[in-house]
Amino acid sequence: MMNNENIVINNSNQPNKNRSIQNKEICVWDPLVRIFHWTLVISFFVAYFTEDEYLNLHTWAGYTIFTLISVRIFWGFVGTKHAKFSDFIYTPEEIFLFIKNTFSLKAQRYLGHNPAGGVMIFLLLISLFFTTASGVILFAIEEGQGPLAWFIGNDWQNWEDLFEESHEFFANFTLLLVFIHVAGVIIESFIHKENLAKAMVTGKKRIEDEI
Amino acid sequence: MKKKMSLLKIQFFGLLVVLSTSLSANTIENKVNVIADIQRGQLLWKKSYKGIPPYEQRSCQSCHGKDLSQVGHHIKTKRVIKAMAPSVNSQRFSNPRKVAKWFLRNCKWTMGKECTVQEKADILAYLKSL
Repeated sequence: MMNNENIVINNSNQPNKNRSIQNKEICVWDPLVRIFHWTLVISFFVAYFTEDEYLNLHTWAGYTIFTLISVRIFWGFVGTKHAKFSDFIYTPEEIFLFIKNTFSLKAQRYLGHNPAGGVMIFLLLISLFFTTASGVILFAIEEGQGPLAWFIGNDWQNWEDLFEESHEFFANFTLLLVFIHVAGVIIESFIHKENLAKAMVTGKKRIEDEI
Repeated sequence: MKKKMSLLKIQFFGLLVVLSTSLSANTIENKVNVIADIQRGQLLWKKSYKGIPPYEQRSCQSCHGKDLSQVGHHIKTKRVIKAMAPSVNSQRFSNPRKVAKWFLRNCKWTMGKECTVQEKADILAYLKSL
């Protein structure tokens, strides 16, 4: 609602024909994308902070993350317009130019994921995949439990350290990505005077003449 | 415009909170001075605790075995556990993070609670003497 108010104020000295267009909001993020996003946020932080203290809760948070990213990857091929991977695959040149423009606060506005945001989604999905995969293997090696326990025997113990280190590395790398992601959201929100975090809750973004 | 800025501030503040909690979660544990006792450690190691069936009787020996210079067999996970005695397994207790991790996990399962600093010191003293 706040967006609308502000747009009206901002455009009060512009011709009326623009006002009606610029007040419009459309649904950019479908419910699946939004539920996915916030469930993932909760699951990630539950998994990150429970760690070894509550192994049971930790593993279930991990399974939830794996299920979520699987569904999201599937949705990336068959989902709604801005949920599709094809909507946010950009060339390296576009990505670097966008990041450069962001630093000088001149980045272009995108209705869906911008080039930097698009790359971030892929990085997060990849990093989360490696985190959960190494976690499931580690759970089988150390505890003989989880979906891979049936085929991971005692001979895998030589690899325990490798999977333990990888699991930790990718979990921390994901956290680093989350910080950059949130920083990006704040900067882009500032540049385009909109609340991108709120848009991930309501799904709605204002229409302008941008892409 | 003013409303917008305050929202951005809230977002920024939220980021700071997340950052600081994650950093503080990694701070080093408080150091406590304890005097370790090998005999007490040995008693703890051999003591039996009541657990949930099918593993009603649990002690460190249930999984590590009676001879600590030999490998043990975990009664629940069926994993082979390398020898605990540093005299035959030089890797034992060489990594403090691993020691902390397995004390946490195994005290919880075996004794049904986390070990105190004193208990960990005693058990460690006993095992290192082997």
